[in-house]
Amino acid sequence: MKKTMSILLTMILIMGLFTGCTGTNANSESDKAASSTELNIYMWQQYISDDLIAKFEEENNAKVNLSYMSDNADAITKLTAGGGQEYDLIMTCDAYMESLVDGGYVEKINFENIPNASNINDSYWTAKEYCVPYLMNYIYIIYNKDTSPVEIKSYNDLINPALKGQIASIDGARNLFPIALVALGYDPNSVNESEIAEAYEWLVKYNDNVVAYGNAEQNLTNGTASVAFTYDGNASWAMSELGKDNNLVIADFENDPVQLGFDLYVIPKGAKHVDLAEKFLNYITDPEVMAANLVEYPYSCPNDVAVQAASEAYRNDPARDFDYKQNVFFQEDVGEAITIYNDYYQKLKVGE
Amino acid sequence: MSLSKLQKRKRFGELIGMIYSIAIYTVLYIPVLVMMIFSFNDQRYNYYWNGFTTEWYSKLFSNSTVIGSLWYSIIIAVLATVISVTIATIGALGLRKYEFRGRKFINNMLFIPIIVPEIVLAVALLIIFMKVGLALGMGSILLGHCTFCIPYAVVTIKGRISGDGYSLEEASMDLGASRIQTFFNVTLPSIMPGVMSAAFLSFTLSIDDVVMSNMLAGAKNSTLPVLILSMNKSGITPDINALTTIMILVIVIAMILNNKIKNALSKRKKAEGIL
Amino acid sequence: MIQRNSFKRKTLPALAMAGPVSIWMILFVTLPMLYIIYISFMSRGVFGDVVYTFSLDSYNTLLDSTYFKVIVKSIKAASLTTLLCLLIGYPFAYYIANKPKEVASKLIMLIMIPFWTNSLMRLNSWLLLFQTSGPINKFLLFTGVTDTPLNFVYTNGLVMVGLITSMLPFAVLPMYSSIEKLSKSLLEASADLGASKRTTFFKITLPLTFPGIFSSIILVFIPSLGMYYVTDMLGGGKVLYIGNIIKNQFGAIRNWPLGAALSVLLILITGLLIFIYTRFAKIEDMEVV
Repeated sequence: MKKTMSILLTMILIMGLFTGCTGTNANSESDKAASSTELNIYMWQQYISDDLIAKFEEENNAKVNLSYMSDNADAITKLTAGGGQEYDLIMTCDAYMESLVDGGYVEKINFENIPNASNINDSYWTAKEYCVPYLMNYIYIIYNKDTSPVEIKSYNDLINPALKGQIASIDGARNLFPIALVALGYDPNSVNESEIAEAYEWLVKYNDNVVAYGNAEQNLTNGTASVAFTYDGNASWAMSELGKDNNLVIADFENDPVQLGFDLYVIPKGAKHVDLAEKFLNYITDPEVMAANLVEYPYSCPNDVAVQAASEAYRNDPARDFDYKQNVFFQEDVGEAITIYNDYYQKLKVGE
Repeated sequence: MSLSKLQKRKRFGELIGMIYSIAIYTVLYIPVLVMMIFSFNDQRYNYYWNGFTTEWYSKLFSNSTVIGSLWYSIIIAVLATVISVTIATIGALGLRKYEFRGRKFINNMLFIPIIVPEIVLAVALLIIFMKVGLALGMGSILLGHCTFCIPYAVVTIKGRISGDGYSLEEASMDLGASRIQTFFNVTLPSIMPGVMSAAFLSFTLSIDDVVMSNMLAGAKNSTLPVLILSMNKSGITPDINALTTIMILVIVIAMILNNKIKNALSKRKKAEGIL
Repeated sequence: MIQRNSFKRKTLPALAMAGPVSIWMILFVTLPMLYIIYISFMSRGVFGDVVYTFSLDSYNTLLDSTYFKVIVKSIKAASLTTLLCLLIGYPFAYYIANKPKEVASKLIMLIMIPFWTNSLMRLNSWLLLFQTSGPINKFLLFTGVTDTPLNFVYTNGLVMVGLITSMLPFAVLPMYSSIEKLSKSLLEASADLGASKRTTFFKITLPLTFPGIFSSIILVFIPSLGMYYVTDMLGGGKVLYIGNIIKNQFGAIRNWPLGAALSVLLILITGLLIFIYTRFAKIEDMEVV
């Protein structure tokens, strides 16, 4: 008898776990009607000022729960597995927007509640009804002018054998293949298999020169690498870390375009606190608020009004001082061709 | 008195063994030491050594996210250990003792979480949890952690169950003890070392888990390893090093205290015995 | 009456004891794995979702030589890790097992403590230590051993160091417990009968501790097949093992059916290895710690 009791107890414990959780679920469901007091955001770590979050909480008498992803794919995995309704705002990037909209994973945004969105420069704003751009990244080349054996003026300089083991690079098929395609004179979002195959051959040479994927700033500042293919915001860290008279320079590209990517907020399908999410989006697009945020997180920003209001130091950041800013390309959805990219990417990493 | 040749050889062997183990402990502790040293690094992210500061320790205590995630990790690890070890202990005994249909199947299933990369099970659990409408949060992380802790615990405990345990149990029951009494007075003590190792292993696996927690974490809280993983894009800030340093110090102090208390107790026992 | 009695005496306790673990395994392992097997036969949608129509695409993809190469490479690396862990770990376990119980338990505890700190942080420490401007290189430059900084980071050697330091406890624990369980009288008897130390070791100690060694092999070999973050961090992400590829299919690449098919393949391979091993070694149950 006692044993059955103990088993029952164990079972109750396990069931308790379930019901305990679904219980909280039901609660959040019920307070949907009233104005929300809770906002769940899923985004990058070290990407938004804590003070600004605290101010928002105070102004709206609400609790903001920030949780962080370690990879863009994390957000997509959660959305596609159906975990989106756990969050009210999810950060993703422009390259994923088309498939997220077509897959029906995100809600349409009511811009009537977000008047500040008009501060954002909309020349690059894709899927406009479904997202609000937050910050943006140029993916470009910086190098140490003292230690790099090559002066870099184009992507093709990166496969110069003199650079063997010198490049710290960001990773990912859809970041690497475009530069190879551009270097070869093709469309960076090509869906043509023979072009992608050629790009693969180019990347094999590039791969020989790469010392490590990831940790670009660390490897550039500690001398492991002399060239980095990285985001402008991270380059800004590296430059300020090495002090005023650092020897890092931005590659002086003559013709090649650079990739520009947006980090943006979407409201996932089934989000429970849409009202507060809209308030937050309006808050973060406020020029004053965003300008304060840029002091702490000096990334490029599509909010033109905020950039004008931003600090002197931000506007004169050497990491954004290059003259081919208009010569950009974007990651676009390549449809079925993504499997071709992935196959070649794996081949590249597997080697020989 | 000269040492015999055998004794000399024994001493020499002991010396070699000691040097060898010190070398291994050194290699295991070097990363921990480097981590502790870099908690005093005067740099926004730990790129390289840039000078001494203690500011990360004061910053740490004002950073509620980091402290909160540490508590969250500890609570989950303790609960996961208790649940896994309870289920695994009675489970290991049951699987050893009783023949039933499907036993082999369950034994094979226990291998799966050890074999498959964690991400596979994590994604599969995520999808299933979403399908049944289980909200993500502590509950889902716990279920995930127990799922990989139980197999390790069962395998660990099973190794400790010896054949002659059964005759002791039978003897105990012949003498009129109930099953429950037998379990607590005879069976459990005999497998206690295994249970302790299982608890140790479960706690270690749970507190350091990244993959499962990352997939199954809800919107409100995340565990410390998940927080650290998410710092990978920008770099790990030295306040995490400060936190780890404090953790290690607390563990070491707790162990020393535990030791002291044990010694004091055994001395008192001895003293009482003499009286 | 008799039936009822036997129910109370055997079925009920069996149910009570083996029940919870069985239910847990069925709910949280069998079901998810069935789902994984199921989607491995589905196809990938344009948006990276799973389209529920039957297809053998994923398994056809596996026939590509790339995957064969990755698997061979992964097995090689995992085997090397396992071998080194055993060679390093056995004498260490032997040393600890011959200490008094009190001391031994403390020594075991000392092995585990570093593992209560974050594994990513520990791996990062190796980078900080060995990087171009790191303390090791500074020391070598200072003492004049070398004129230019040596390249330690992002090499296979450092990946091996990372793998071994991450896996060593899982090798030591099972071997320790099987050596410790070894009856001392047996060894004495062997010595009394005139066997040399070496003979005793190879004829008695090694065979009798074989179950522990076997557990160590399983606990080191299998997880090191899937330890993608060690190669990611210390290898600079230039090398992919099977674990990385599966992770990428579920993550960045979002081809879940292919990831599922790769997982099924991995389970089959490891299952086969265990099967061959247990047959060969005539072991019925794994013994750990």
